[in-house]
Amino acid sequence: MLSEHTIPSDYDDEGDEFIDFESYYSVEDTDLNGFKDDSDFDITSDMNSDDESGSRISFLISTQDSENLGKKSSLSGSEERGLPKLNYNCLTTDQIYKLMLQRMENLQPIFNIPLEDMIILLQRYGWSEERLLEQWTEDMEKVLVASGLRTAKHDKIKRGIKLHPNFMCHICCESGEKETFSLECAHEYCLDCYKHYIQDKLPDGKIITCMNCDLALRNEDIDKIMGDNSSAKLMLSSIKGFIQKHSNHYKWCPFVDCNYVIQVGNISSLSEFPRFHISPYVICDNKHKFCFQCGLESHAPGDCQVADVWVKTAQAESANLNWVLKNTKECPKCGVNIEKNGGCNHMTCKSCAYEFCWICEGCWKDHGGSYYECTRFKKEDKNDNVESKGSLRKYTFYYRLFSEHENSAKLDWNLGQTVEQKVRALQENVGISWIESQFLPESIRALIEGRTTLKWSFPVAFYSDPSHNLTKIFVDNQFLLVNAVEDLSQLLQIKEPKKIMEKKLDFYNKARFVKSRENALIECGRDLLCKGICIPQK
Amino acid sequence: MASLPKRIIKETERLVSDPVPGITAQPHEDNLRYFQVTIEGPQQSPYESGVFELELFLPDDYPMEAPKVRFLTKIYHPNIDRLGRICLDVLKTNWSPALQIRTVLLSIQALLASPNPNDPLANDVAEDWIKNEEAAIEKAREWTRLYAKPK
Repeated sequence: MLSEHTIPSDYDDEGDEFIDFESYYSVEDTDLNGFKDDSDFDITSDMNSDDESGSRISFLISTQDSENLGKKSSLSGSEERGLPKLNYNCLTTDQIYKLMLQRMENLQPIFNIPLEDMIILLQRYGWSEERLLEQWTEDMEKVLVASGLRTAKHDKIKRGIKLHPNFMCHICCESGEKETFSLECAHEYCLDCYKHYIQDKLPDGKIITCMNCDLALRNEDIDKIMGDNSSAKLMLSSIKGFIQKHSNHYKWCPFVDCNYVIQVGNISSLSEFPRFHISPYVICDNKHKFCFQCGLESHAPGDCQVADVWVKTAQAESANLNWVLKNTKECPKCGVNIEKNGGCNHMTCKSCAYEFCWICEGCWKDHGGSYYECTRFKKEDKNDNVESKGSLRKYTFYYRLFSEHENSAKLDWNLGQTVEQKVRALQENVGISWIESQFLPESIRALIEGRTTLKWSFPVAFYSDPSHNLTKIFVDNQFLLVNAVEDLSQLLQIKEPKKIMEKKLDFYNKARFVKSRENALIECGRDLLCKGICIPQK
Repeated sequence: MASLPKRIIKETERLVSDPVPGITAQPHEDNLRYFQVTIEGPQQSPYESGVFELELFLPDDYPMEAPKVRFLTKIYHPNIDRLGRICLDVLKTNWSPALQIRTVLLSIQALLASPNPNDPLANDVAEDWIKNEEAAIEKAREWTRLYAKPK
């Protein structure tokens, strides 16, 4: 990394800046041998013809910023550039559960009740320790009764499984010799009914109570009834509740079938990111990169706002998502999409249990008698039908490019699956070591990341002022990245192991080239955002 | 119908042998999970002297899942919409397998006796109810006379 980079700390200054156009075109000083012989690959253009191998990326800013010009750092060192940095860990669900237990153990001395009961209390309070503590200090007995840990009347019946020679279960109405279960409340039902009942309730991640009253089943009861460790399933569902509650600190990896959770330590720094028009990207242990702020995949060069506006516009365009927009509302508290498929306007969010009014999306509690204000609630978004045909056409054009690259990325993903076989073939046929063959998976990763960046560069281009010079530079940069990506993609089509090994240097160079083009495009896009040339709006 | 759970048979038997006053529930001869229900309007309510027809269906998972109930007779009530759907906690979140068909029907009868316009299903009705309760009650009476005639 030989490039030098100067960034003023006060970036969003809109002065009469002099932009060093060459900077956006220049490339890192890579070993160019790899693609020199590639005739259809042309990174030169009129504007950077004499600066191809010189590797300076610099922004020259007007004199008013000159005091900041002294700061120089490498492209990779984001801290040195004064950009915020996120500290995070990647956790498995087991680790999360251990963490939850640890938090409970810390709380236990205050409550002085068994850990099993602590789990129930926290489930009842949606893992909000503050709320639980508050109510606990107010009225301990009330919390215990409300959470189903105490019966109102103290019957002297032991909870557990019993065997009755002749028992009639009131749930299934079958009678005969039966194993039964009851809590201290003496509501006794047969084990089969209880099994069925618990099975249905496990995915909810909520406390499971007696079928006839509010008394809660402990995890050990559940496991005894089910004959396995089903309570683990309940706890897994409960982890979702925990993460939902602490969504500031924890986020699920959004990739399909990925169960990792990212835990961020310094969440206060999150608010720093938008100012620099960058996003807090995190990478899970499966190497999935996503944005901790908005939960989308990596959407550089666009920032979260670009991604958000773009995705929402895209949704509005598609018939399916049109339906979602029409028929669902986001829970005002947790943002989960809710479809109202019947019932009254008193909504209770399934995921965060927030109670709100469907019409005005206000808290139901505050509603009281003044509910009828709601029918007078008017929607303001009725008069934006005057969208000109031209802008729609422009949008469709950009959207098509966006989705084309999305599809290509998916195809590359499939390609990535076959790379593993190629690596194995290399090891067996050509006899090279595992470590030596790692250039293949690395190349495919570079390819997919390049495509993703490319994909998200179209929203940025769409929202940018097309007459501005910097936008033109951005578009040229896009073009260069397209070429770099397609080149690498072509290289990855090679099937024979011997040929792959011969081209090893090519793989290295082209992957590195994609990376550097990607960085240049991201920087350029960030510049568009910082200078207010790219303004995402619906 | 051999696979009909004992619970449903028992409940049906009891509904016939020991009927709830003002409520009838007859299983359909082709489908013993489907009931034709009538509920008499409670005394001292706008629905008094009306007989309301409902349908009730016991899903496969009953009693783990709540029965599905719907009014067939037109009714002017803030918690019942024009399709006859009912906003009642025991039919949704507060269902428990320990509840029965008869307890559900009793709850519906109680809902007729005490409409709850603060938790409405039919917004327009609920609004009328709040704005001018007397007029709304009069309208409910009128609808009862018009549509809920005893057969």
